[in-house]
Amino acid sequence: MAVPVSQMYSVASYVLSNKLRGVKRYPLVLMLEPLFRCNLACAGCGKIQYPDHILDKRLTPEQCWDAAEECGAPIVAIPGGEPLIHPEIGRIVEGLVAQKRYLYVCTNAILMERKLKEFTPSQYLTFSVHMDGLKNEHDLAVCRDGVYEVAVRAIKEALKLGHRVTTNTTLFDDANPDRVRKFFDEMMALGVEGMMISPGYSYHKAPDQQHFLKKSRTKELFSRILSNPKGSWKFNQSPLFLDFLMGKREYQCTPWGNPTYNVFGWQRPCYLLQEGYAKTFRELLDTTEWQDYGTSKNEKCAECMVHCGYEASAVSDTFGTVSGFARTAKLTMLPTSR
Amino acid sequence: MTDSTAQGADHTDSLEGRVFRPASSAELEEAVDLAFDYRGDVTLGLASGEVLVGYLFNRHVKGECPSVEFFPEDESVSRTIPYSTIASIAFTGEDTANGKSWEAWVSKKESERRAEAQRVEEDARSRGLL
Repeated sequence: MAVPVSQMYSVASYVLSNKLRGVKRYPLVLMLEPLFRCNLACAGCGKIQYPDHILDKRLTPEQCWDAAEECGAPIVAIPGGEPLIHPEIGRIVEGLVAQKRYLYVCTNAILMERKLKEFTPSQYLTFSVHMDGLKNEHDLAVCRDGVYEVAVRAIKEALKLGHRVTTNTTLFDDANPDRVRKFFDEMMALGVEGMMISPGYSYHKAPDQQHFLKKSRTKELFSRILSNPKGSWKFNQSPLFLDFLMGKREYQCTPWGNPTYNVFGWQRPCYLLQEGYAKTFRELLDTTEWQDYGTSKNEKCAECMVHCGYEASAVSDTFGTVSGFARTAKLTMLPTSR
Repeated sequence: MTDSTAQGADHTDSLEGRVFRPASSAELEEAVDLAFDYRGDVTLGLASGEVLVGYLFNRHVKGECPSVEFFPEDESVSRTIPYSTIASIAFTGEDTANGKSWEAWVSKKESERRAEAQRVEEDARSRGLL
């Protein structure tokens, strides 16, 4: 299993307790962006296009810890920007681990080898390394040669030190299914705990507007990639979300499932769209017009199948329906039965 | 609304270089929406005569006193500015989402590929293979 039992138990009990209490909207993963500054300018990224004085702003460790407490999600992902650029990332992580949040530091790994000494291995801490494919595909996606090799070195070093390491991969419409399958083999051979995959979101601020996936193409692509999966492949995400990407299940988006906090505040309505900011998490939940977002409700959501909207829907399906639970159990025990 | 283009501005889809002087609340709302969506600094001309340069990152249209939230470029904390005090909005900062980084990368990769193709061709020619 790609996700440790203790983490599965934590998430399961959190979701079930919310369901039993009749809570309609609850967060699953806090997307904590402590800065927007990055040391790459990836073609499909719409997150870092800001003036310098905004890129120089940082959330303090205290702001990060308070946001996690306020939100209450059992999992915290730290994307950005590149979080390892933050001079206090070690303290931020330490505080979130002390809160017993399952933490994913999403990094391009350029600074990882240098920074590993700032982190203590923990069951709560995972480095989620951005890898968009084999060497050629990855270096092209991140617009810099040599980054793939740097990331592979960093993954090996982190594993050697006893850290949990996963990969996160964003796919676009030029992905070659055979090459992606080979990439999965390479990542698992490195010894990572699991992989996370998602189609890219068509950020209208991203530099490359030509290669974002449409829904029908997403399903076709992921079907070709994930059919007949190898026994060695492990995915650090809901099996039902992978079913969804393959077109085997239909979901509505859960935009409050992965709320986003950054230097502007709590982002409405989700990690991908920027319709405004709330000062508190409660204000975000209570005043966002959620009915305006999601599949068939908003043109900006029309082609989106990204994990931050639909993984929470998949998890809710697991714990909310018999068929969802049975399918999750089957795919967890027999991942090659897909 | 009165909309002028600053001298020397790049005439592309970007708003960079444009200046808006809204004549009504509807026009002001429209101009603020454009500024909110813009990924560069703007210059706000206030009715008081004050001029502020910075990043407009939020707006509250509803309520009795619509306002924007704004990070001045040289201040660490944001300021809240009522719509009613805004006289003009100029898109003075570089549009950081103009896509030029991707174009530059593709162009670099293409030139590398062309250079490689040329090297292979020259090598083949020197070996008498062409």
